[in-house]
Amino acid sequence: MANKSLLGCGALVVIIALFVGIGAVSTYNNLVTLDQATQAQWAQVESVYQRRADLIPNLVATVKGVANFEKSTYVAVAEARSKVGQVTAGGTQAIPNDPKAFAQFQQAQDGLTSALSRLLVTVERYPDLKANQNFLDLQSQLEGTENRIAVERMRFNEAAQAFNTTRQSFPTVIFANFFGSRFAEKVYFTSQPGAENAPKVTF
Amino acid sequence: MTSAVRRLLLLFVCAAALCASANPAGAKFAAPPAPTRWVTDDAGFISSSMRATLDAELQAYEQRTGHQVIVYIGSTTGDVPLEDYTVNAFAAWKVGRKNLSDGLVLFIFAKDHAVRIEVGYGLEPVVTDAASAEIIRNVIIPSIRAGDNDAAVQNGVAKLLETIDGSPAPEAGGANAGNSGGENPQENELPSIGSLIIIGIALLGFIILFIRSPGFALWLLFSLFSGGRGGGSSSGGFSGGGGGGFSGGGGMSGGGGASGSW
Repeated sequence: MANKSLLGCGALVVIIALFVGIGAVSTYNNLVTLDQATQAQWAQVESVYQRRADLIPNLVATVKGVANFEKSTYVAVAEARSKVGQVTAGGTQAIPNDPKAFAQFQQAQDGLTSALSRLLVTVERYPDLKANQNFLDLQSQLEGTENRIAVERMRFNEAAQAFNTTRQSFPTVIFANFFGSRFAEKVYFTSQPGAENAPKVTF
Repeated sequence: MTSAVRRLLLLFVCAAALCASANPAGAKFAAPPAPTRWVTDDAGFISSSMRATLDAELQAYEQRTGHQVIVYIGSTTGDVPLEDYTVNAFAAWKVGRKNLSDGLVLFIFAKDHAVRIEVGYGLEPVVTDAASAEIIRNVIIPSIRAGDNDAAVQNGVAKLLETIDGSPAPEAGGANAGNSGGENPQENELPSIGSLIIIGIALLGFIILFIRSPGFALWLLFSLFSGGRGGGSSSGGFSGGGGGGFSGGGGMSGGGGASGSW
């Protein structure tokens, strides 16, 4: 009799352990899936920012060629771009998991956004430039890129939110904390006051 | 002992039921209902004969090349900024083939006096921002200003198709469909070595816990198990409108294209 109940007890423990294992694996895999989705979206954000950075030398060269163009505006753009370069120099993969690095990244990129928008406002005063085909193309590329940045940032926030919601839900939060920084909470993009207006130029 | 087993089984059934019911769905901007034709004109912007002609043309174009190019004419985007509206509508309608994202939508909002060409990820290298802006600036807007809306849309579409055809159609797998962030169908992979180790740790830990305080162990089991699911995105196939109408293929856009106003 005692033997039998011991056997039953053992079987019970095995069954319970099996269920715990299944629960743990599925929680873990779910977190990995959401984490990967966030990372993939982060790569998209990086690539659109890179796209913008790549447009800048051409833009600066174009406005430089215009007689009497206000030097301070394109110098500010060039400086803001090099600041972005400094922030991203050490690799950007881990930024979504690091609030401090994230804030620096966003600050540098937002700085570039406002420098660019100042430059594009200045352009309004140069009718020759506005009639220049090369400049018009650059301008539409810049506008398109600003729009892409907005879209990818929004999608990043959505992916980060999906991850954070799951990660912070009980009881996943206990499980996720075992892994320390492996499943660190993601940081969100925040809109800077006044910066939500991408450089917009009407024709 | 047996009654305890029975109670435990009941617990498992409850936990399983809880798992099945929990399925959160993220709701955001409500896009207009997916169009059922290639050319939709809700604002009476173009003549109905032109609408029918273009509709047939774009339907044939999709059959021939696989690209989903559609025209959507509405009256206004309301409070929603134009670019937000179009990128979300594009994603909701899933224009373009899945993984290729080779769709394109020409949006016109008559009351807002706004035009936008929204380009799917896969067509971005072909229909560039500069090319889209030029079509809007030099083809569509001058005709609208001259009062010839039919010509504006017809010539705009013709120019867009010409731009797309200027490059070979993307083959499956060869396109840079960058829509990785949005949808990640959850696959049921086999547990890897890492997860087997976790199972092992969990197993040992649980046995110890079960011996020391069975009540807490059961509670933990229940909560862990019920929290294991949820959060996966549903990426079911989309089908809208029967009878040979337009239906999105699963594509996505990332804000590429250009906007203009008259």
